[in-house]
Amino acid sequence: MSTTTPEVEFDDVSKFYGEVLGVNRVTLRIPPGITSLVGPNGSGKTTLMNLMAGLIHADRGALSVRGFSPREPEQLMRVLGYATQYDAAPRGTTGMDFVTTGLMLAGFPAGEARERAVKALERVRMQEAASRKVASYSKGMRQRIRLAQAIAHDPEVLVLDEPLNGLDPLVRAETIALFREFAAMGRHVILSSHVLQEVDILSDQVILIANGMIIAEGQIRSVREEIHEHPSQYLVRCRDASRVASLLFELDHITQVQIQDDRHGLLVMTRNRREFSRALTRVSLAGHLVESVVPADENMGALYEYLIGGDR
Amino acid sequence: MTNAIRMRQVWTIARLQLTRVFFSKRSFWVYLLALFPSVIFLGHGVEVKWKRERWGAQKTESGILQSIRRGDTDGEVLQKAGMPITDFRSGAFRRRREIGGENEEREIERRYMMFFDGTNRWDLRFENGILQSKRSRPLNDFDEDRQIFAGVFQYFYLRLAIFFGCLGIFMNLFRGEMMDKTLHFWFLIPARREVLLAGKYLAGLIASVLIFGTGAALSFALMLWPQDPAQLSAFWQVEGAVHLFWYAAAAGLACAGYGSVFLASGLLLRNPILPAVVILLWESINGILPTLLQKLSVLYYVQALCPTPPPVNANAPLLVRLLSAPAEPPAAVVSVLGVMAVTAVVLWISSKAVRRLEINYGVE
Amino acid sequence: MAVYRRGYQRYQGPLTGEWDRLLVLPRFAWESLMQQRLIAILFVLALFWPAGCALFIYFSHHLDLLQGFGGAASNIFQVNGEFFFVFMNVQSFAAIVLSAFAGPSLIAPDLANGALPLYFSRPLTRTTYVFSRMFVLAGVLSPVTWIPGLLLFAMQSGMAGWGWFAENYRLGLAVMGGFFLWILLVSLIAMACSAYVRWRVVAGALVLGLFFILGGAAELANAVLRVDWASALNPGRSMEQVWRAMLGLEPLPGPDAWQCAVCLGLMVAGLAVVLRRKLRPVEVVS
Repeated sequence: MSTTTPEVEFDDVSKFYGEVLGVNRVTLRIPPGITSLVGPNGSGKTTLMNLMAGLIHADRGALSVRGFSPREPEQLMRVLGYATQYDAAPRGTTGMDFVTTGLMLAGFPAGEARERAVKALERVRMQEAASRKVASYSKGMRQRIRLAQAIAHDPEVLVLDEPLNGLDPLVRAETIALFREFAAMGRHVILSSHVLQEVDILSDQVILIANGMIIAEGQIRSVREEIHEHPSQYLVRCRDASRVASLLFELDHITQVQIQDDRHGLLVMTRNRREFSRALTRVSLAGHLVESVVPADENMGALYEYLIGGDR
Repeated sequence: MTNAIRMRQVWTIARLQLTRVFFSKRSFWVYLLALFPSVIFLGHGVEVKWKRERWGAQKTESGILQSIRRGDTDGEVLQKAGMPITDFRSGAFRRRREIGGENEEREIERRYMMFFDGTNRWDLRFENGILQSKRSRPLNDFDEDRQIFAGVFQYFYLRLAIFFGCLGIFMNLFRGEMMDKTLHFWFLIPARREVLLAGKYLAGLIASVLIFGTGAALSFALMLWPQDPAQLSAFWQVEGAVHLFWYAAAAGLACAGYGSVFLASGLLLRNPILPAVVILLWESINGILPTLLQKLSVLYYVQALCPTPPPVNANAPLLVRLLSAPAEPPAAVVSVLGVMAVTAVVLWISSKAVRRLEINYGVE
Repeated sequence: MAVYRRGYQRYQGPLTGEWDRLLVLPRFAWESLMQQRLIAILFVLALFWPAGCALFIYFSHHLDLLQGFGGAASNIFQVNGEFFFVFMNVQSFAAIVLSAFAGPSLIAPDLANGALPLYFSRPLTRTTYVFSRMFVLAGVLSPVTWIPGLLLFAMQSGMAGWGWFAENYRLGLAVMGGFFLWILLVSLIAMACSAYVRWRVVAGALVLGLFFILGGAAELANAVLRVDWASALNPGRSMEQVWRAMLGLEPLPGPDAWQCAVCLGLMVAGLAVVLRRKLRPVEVVS
């Protein structure tokens, strides 16, 4: 397999639908691993994915997927698998046909296409429903059959539009495991999701997008560190919470301390993470038992709230 | 990627698309269009053979029928010629006429009789019991049948069936998939857009040529079926195979030409009615356009390949005759090359359009 | 007590009748149709011929204004059954074009977007839905068919006097009745085509194509079989024959008015079957 440039690159890419903005001046370098695109409805997530797959073309700028231009599907589609948001399948197609046909069009001989299709269907637990028509599938099954088609040719870049929507908990866990397996092999898994808890769990990096513009990108922690206007939140578990609270509250960088109902926990807000860390060391040395310190807002929910607002 | 692999891709795409074109429910009406004339010609063949047998048992001497004159009463005719094969009375209606400056209205009742003399059928029309008209024609006339087939081929097949059939088949290849929200499925395969276009066009071409070519050939065969064996044998010895070949070639070229045009319209425009109406009008007025413009039409080349000119209805209004007048025909080689050139140009335009085409289901 | 019993209270007020609900859909549909530029243009174009006919009637009563024609004017400018037949013929074509563009946008989007379950989850039956959609088309086609027809008839009656009206009142009835039949047929064809293909623009092409192809097929059958009964397969031609009978005119060659009426009845039944099969509030797996 070709691995010319193992990155997905957007260089000043803009896309307009008539007078409506799709994405505006996007410059990105997406490394291998699991990358989540997060943003409100209509923010431009699907536009970015469609641009990567060549389903739409940029009005301005350039992009490449592992060194291949989306305008050259002959090369690109060998390394890219895309599970779109579009629900429809060609009329009268069964699940098996849907996956096999895609493989045959990708150039696999009929026998191998069938073998690969069976494997892909097994991976998404669709082997039993494979002979049924796609039109009769439930939402979750359609989601899985699209995923099967996207992974069947073993792509290096997997682009998935809302891939966890409609999946039951068991299949959801298996699907997340599948993404991790792909990422562990040095491949790209680029997905969009509205379920922020899942984004937290599975993403190596996130891209926050709103109104067609990239708001933030990178690992969740580093993105959080860049947000200075919101104090960082920590959950501190300790025996004598009220005493520790009074010690912390004397410090300048601490803006708020809340004692939890069980009197063994504190929610602390600080404007200086480093000073807070030192202060906790001093508290411990002073004989107060600090059991654990967990960041309370180093997650997608908080980032979303801080950067995009409550409009999900 | 080598050209050989691309060719294989074209064929794979065509094969998969062909299954959809041939077996989709939407294709039902295309089959209906293609096979309708065959059904009618079959009906005609059965009718001719049946009538020849049945009427032959009740024939009237041709001399007697010739002696019947306009103005004879229905009673006199029955007395002379005996029982007719059919005898039919229409409902009464009122007719107003100006006689000597005054309007006269009278009730009319029509009666139609038909006799057979072994070769010809004689149609007699009476009004209020008086013979108004007498017409004889052969039960079956090979030359007339060939003329009618030429008319059916040029007016029904070329202008309606192949036109609307190709509209349905080729528009569906891209625009239909866009409507069904399934076009992305094709765009996500590792093939150049031009390869996809070629595969889909090939599928449409194979399907339309097979459907309409078979339909036209079947109609031709069924037109020949009831003919006199001696006439038929002479026809095959002299020109039969040539006629069949040129009709098939004309059908094939029409499918290739219209197919490319409708494929391009489906790629370039969202609403197929307007281009279809414009092309239909353009093709219809082709015969009265300047020579240069005539050459930008599929019908101009295709009609020239047809071995028999279609019958022109002298009673048709002037405008209709004008619109259906065939253009000055080019040579066969020019026709074939002309259609191929028009097709190539249109496909080249399509290849540019398909590279720019984007998936945007929301606006459909 | 189950939670929903505390929170949910069923609507207890009065409901409108089934036939009143029929008007809910047309109310918005007319508005949105007339906002389409193409429909508005076609609508205006369709009124040119009635305006010309009105002028014709006017001149037929003011022959002194037409001295250039000499004595022929009185022969040319006659308002009779033939006049109304020609008027109906032209307007029937306008009705086809209007229904080809306006008709499919009424049903096809509902089917394509799965809106039928939404409608049928209301107290609205399939029949009511079809009638309401037909009502929309009737509303669009009436101002270009029977309304100008009746206005022309009234104009002629007014100018020619009571005697003419008493002698020719059946012309007025024929214009109205003939156009009602035409609106019924054209609306059903437009709705059946759009229910069959679900694609608005193709449905429009299908409506136009159907009239062309049925006409061509009828001529083909007549030519090959050397008959004239196949004209009954052409809905336009069949309707002409029925109109001629209603207007008391000499019939065209071919099947008589009753035979044509039976054919048209069968077409209407066939179209109703298509609508019944296709308008289902369920997703059909294909």
